[in-house]
Amino acid sequence: MAKFRLPRNSRVRVGKAHPVPQGVSRRTRFKIYRHDPDSGDGPRLDTYEVDRDTCGEMVLDALITIKNEMDSTLVFRRSCREGVCGSCAMNIDGVNTLACTKPLDDISGDVRVYPLPHMRVIRDLVTDVSHVYGQLASVKPWLRSQSAAPEAKERLQSPDEREKLDGLYECILCFCCQTACPSYWWNGETFPGPAVLLQAYRWVADSRDEAGDERIAELDGADELFRCRTIVNCTNACPKGLNPARAIAEAKKRAAQSLRRPMD
Amino acid sequence: MSNAQSEGEASAARPLSPHLQVYRPQITSVLSITHRLTGILLSIGIAGLVAWLAAAAAGPESFAVAREIAGSWPGLLILFIWSLCLVYHLLNGIRHLVWDTGRGLALKPVRVSGWAVVGGTVILTTLAWVLGAAVAG
Repeated sequence: MAKFRLPRNSRVRVGKAHPVPQGVSRRTRFKIYRHDPDSGDGPRLDTYEVDRDTCGEMVLDALITIKNEMDSTLVFRRSCREGVCGSCAMNIDGVNTLACTKPLDDISGDVRVYPLPHMRVIRDLVTDVSHVYGQLASVKPWLRSQSAAPEAKERLQSPDEREKLDGLYECILCFCCQTACPSYWWNGETFPGPAVLLQAYRWVADSRDEAGDERIAELDGADELFRCRTIVNCTNACPKGLNPARAIAEAKKRAAQSLRRPMD
Repeated sequence: MSNAQSEGEASAARPLSPHLQVYRPQITSVLSITHRLTGILLSIGIAGLVAWLAAAAAGPESFAVAREIAGSWPGLLILFIWSLCLVYHLLNGIRHLVWDTGRGLALKPVRVSGWAVVGGTVILTTLAWVLGAAVAG
């Protein structure tokens, strides 16, 4: 049974309000989830006010400004700052996205920043994604084939075959979709989730891969593919504009077609 | 202590990040939970349908009582909600059937079909009651 309330140690208290910068024309208030595992206290929501005239345009710029100029204890993951690495995935203004590609001007009112939802928090905005990585590894996201590789050249694809991978191969594994999915919140222990299922289907759809039937058979079950209830929060969250919901629907179709085989 | 064991303990002590508490309601998730809710209400409503049929089978006196209850204000209100659930669940069920063919899953069609289901539910339910009232006189 799904637990809708947060466990006692996870409820968020009101935290510190940091000093408001004086003599600035444009300010934006940030409410940021903080958790210090060494403090012994639970999570809290700290308030910061950022001078928009000296800060960059994206949410990540503001987080860096806060860390550099106001509170060096704020912890978050970031790397490429251009939507390619997937490190700065977090819940901003109620929706999962990348802080580096989310314009501050898109948000009206206070900017609320939380870690990716329903994950174990290591510190502040940093969550433990090792379970998701384990799930990803379990679908063997690499080319599997029995046939011998062609000599002295790569396995070729026609342009049409290559086109089937569009919208699948671009995934950066930020897990915005994964942690936007209520099915994953309530059943994440066993349900692979949208990001992992999209990765699995990326190989099913690959003309060079020869383990498609095996891949589908492993995912064909009430706890796997069919735990997806087509809520479509995943596609609504993807910062790369990909469509995990459609990939899962295609994988379900493949699984349903395999039902036409005679029963064992 | 093994490494795996200590990791397990650390993870249990770690707080769970907020989910329902902070996630903005989306047309996707709101219509999904409404589909579930209307399904549950329809199932409960079936008990009322069975009671109505049983009353009809038991004879004219009991059927007259059933008609009285169904025609009272609380009875009509429950019937209205039930019909709303029925139309919503039917229309959204068709939306799910289309999705299961792999169609209509891009963001725009998802939003358009979602609002179409909401609008269709209001229109068809209203139509059913207007026609019902006209026939009943």
